Amino acid sequence: MYRVIAHLDMDAFFASIEQRDDPALRGKPVIVGAPPTQRGVVCAASYEARKFGVRSAMPSATAGRLCPKGVFVRPRMDRYKEESGFILKIMADTGAVIEPMSIDEAYLDLSARCHGEDADASLLSCVPIARQLKERIRSERGLTATVGIASNKLLAKIASDFEKPDGLTVVSERDKVQFLRPLPARVLYGVGRVTEQVLLRVGIRTVGDLQDYSGDLRALVGSFGPKLKQFAVGEDDRPLELGDEVKSISGEETFLQDTEDRGVLRACLREQAAEIAAKLKRRRLAAHTIQVKVRYGDFTTLTRQLTVEEPVSEPKDIYRLACFLLGRQRLVSRPLRLLGLSASNLREPTAQQLTFW
Amino acid sequence: MKLTIAREQLINGLQAVQNVVGSRTTLPILSNVLLQAEQGRLGLTATDLDVSIACGVEAKVEKVGVTTLPARRLFSIVRELGTPEIELEVDEKNVCSLTAGASFFKVNGLPAEDFPPRPGFADSKRVALPQDKVKGMLRRTAFAVSNDEARYVLNGLFFSLREHKVTLVATDGRRLALTDEEVDIGAENQTEFIVPAKTVAELSRLLQDKGEVEISVGDNQVAFDMRGEGLLNILAISKLVEGTYPNYQQVIPRESKERIPLVREELVQALRRAELMTSEKSNSVKLSFTRNTLAITANAPEIGEARETLAINYKGPDLAVAFNPSFLLDALKALDNDEVFLELSDELSPGVLKVNGPFLYVIMPMRMN
Repeated sequence: MYRVIAHLDMDAFFASIEQRDDPALRGKPVIVGAPPTQRGVVCAASYEARKFGVRSAMPSATAGRLCPKGVFVRPRMDRYKEESGFILKIMADTGAVIEPMSIDEAYLDLSARCHGEDADASLLSCVPIARQLKERIRSERGLTATVGIASNKLLAKIASDFEKPDGLTVVSERDKVQFLRPLPARVLYGVGRVTEQVLLRVGIRTVGDLQDYSGDLRALVGSFGPKLKQFAVGEDDRPLELGDEVKSISGEETFLQDTEDRGVLRACLREQAAEIAAKLKRRRLAAHTIQVKVRYGDFTTLTRQLTVEEPVSEPKDIYRLACFLLGRQRLVSRPLRLLGLSASNLREPTAQQLTFW
Repeated sequence: MKLTIAREQLINGLQAVQNVVGSRTTLPILSNVLLQAEQGRLGLTATDLDVSIACGVEAKVEKVGVTTLPARRLFSIVRELGTPEIELEVDEKNVCSLTAGASFFKVNGLPAEDFPPRPGFADSKRVALPQDKVKGMLRRTAFAVSNDEARYVLNGLFFSLREHKVTLVATDGRRLALTDEEVDIGAENQTEFIVPAKTVAELSRLLQDKGEVEISVGDNQVAFDMRGEGLLNILAISKLVEGTYPNYQQVIPRESKERIPLVREELVQALRRAELMTSEKSNSVKLSFTRNTLAITANAPEIGEARETLAINYKGPDLAVAFNPSFLLDALKALDNDEVFLELSDELSPGVLKVNGPFLYVIMPMRMN
């Protein structure tokens, strides 16, 4: 059996739902997020808005400047989550093993349904399944999706980014090395801004440059070197991550105005700690690691974490550790734009150690 | 500075101080030991700025003087030397010539003026106790000090000098160890303070079975002056943990329903075996008391289970309570009494471990999910 992985990415998911639900928005540059007059960021932008350079995670004020005719719509997360559930059901009907990546994308392992003489024939046999999947999403949900098909997650994801929206791209085993050559190194999993800069310094710009690089990548990127070399030639054996195992639980809040008011920050942390504790309790989990995240007015973002011996699940413990982390490093040295809290390193304890206080 | 010293004396001195020698390269002088040659004596001092330890050893001093030398390197050299006597001579550039039989070393030092000065002690409160008593008190409590850095006041051992008693308390919020010792404390010397865990560890190592230790407490530091006939005299000075220690009295149950005598060694053995069947996820053992029987069970679904049965003297109603076995063992191993008493009320109330002596250990149970 050959490996056949599809990556499905919904096209401008939030914005498309808004345009579907409100015909008046169709064909207009829709920007889902906070209004440009207020603080906050863009969650998603329709393709019409993207033409103006509007991108998700961009401050709404910036988006408003780039796209003065943009129609700003408040996000309706519940609606998007519900829609995501419908899409997931349609995907499940393909008989695929599914790893949902986020609200609007997922990996599908279709190896069991796509038998061919060789690897590439197997990939091609997946095309009708992908077409049917896209068609059902269009007819039943009124939305479009882009699908990438390849022999692994790395290539499937790159393939789905290749032609958007409403695309379908297959990267064959025979052509994968050539397919990757002209793409910027950034497309590879694990290559972020920092690694990209490191690579640029030695003249590596494209995946092809990486393929041709004769030196030891470990000298540049450490232990990631061998993996990066494999990725550069389109090899990736990462399995789909299945199950509903939760890895971390988090919350964050962007303030209406940057603040260093201890009362406001404490109240915010207390609320986040309570929410996280409630989620932990529902899943009967406790966390060994607590992390705080702060973002300043200039968008500098820092995270600090602490791992404790006794897992915590009570709001007061999560809050206490969060306050400690903020205090230890004097993170609130200037006003914060955003404050976040997360619990990870989760365990399902069979017994809970009681404490004095 | 020029002196001759017995190798053993120098080793003893270096061993006493070298644990606090810093490995931080930001302040190279902290990697060095301060050597002060006086009449008939060589003083050695090391510090990491939180704790400083000084001691004095016998030496034939020909020329008094001071210098600092890299502590770990000096210790390694002295340990490897074969002769019983060592000659040290330090020039004005702090270069030390070390001669021992056929061995010769030149070791580069740093000026003594750069070494952090010993903190002064104004208006201190004092109490003196036998060294072995304090050593025993530390052994019975220090294991319960918290290493949760987010609770910094608990990262130390609490000392209370009040009402003719020195009381030591350690807790990490899940268990609490307390011991005390009667001693005459004048009204002017009553005080409370928290000694950092690192200092406690050093003291546990340095305290001897003879002699006295005088404890002096200043505003933000404490000194332990350990001395006695025929002993290495050592002075340890430490910063204190700032903050208010929690009200530990309210944690100690006023009374418990059952007081169960147990043979310490039997209990230790049984707990050690049961602990083998615990895991990170299931780190509790259940103690089930029925008439004249204690069953200790461990059950880790992913590994298996263990059951230990002990014949005991128990007449009360059936009672079961779960504890982290290492918390019980920590205390049981720090004791040397044959018999211990476990006081229990119910499965969610704290248990109290006592002995015939000044010791008390409160331990919170684990609630089975």
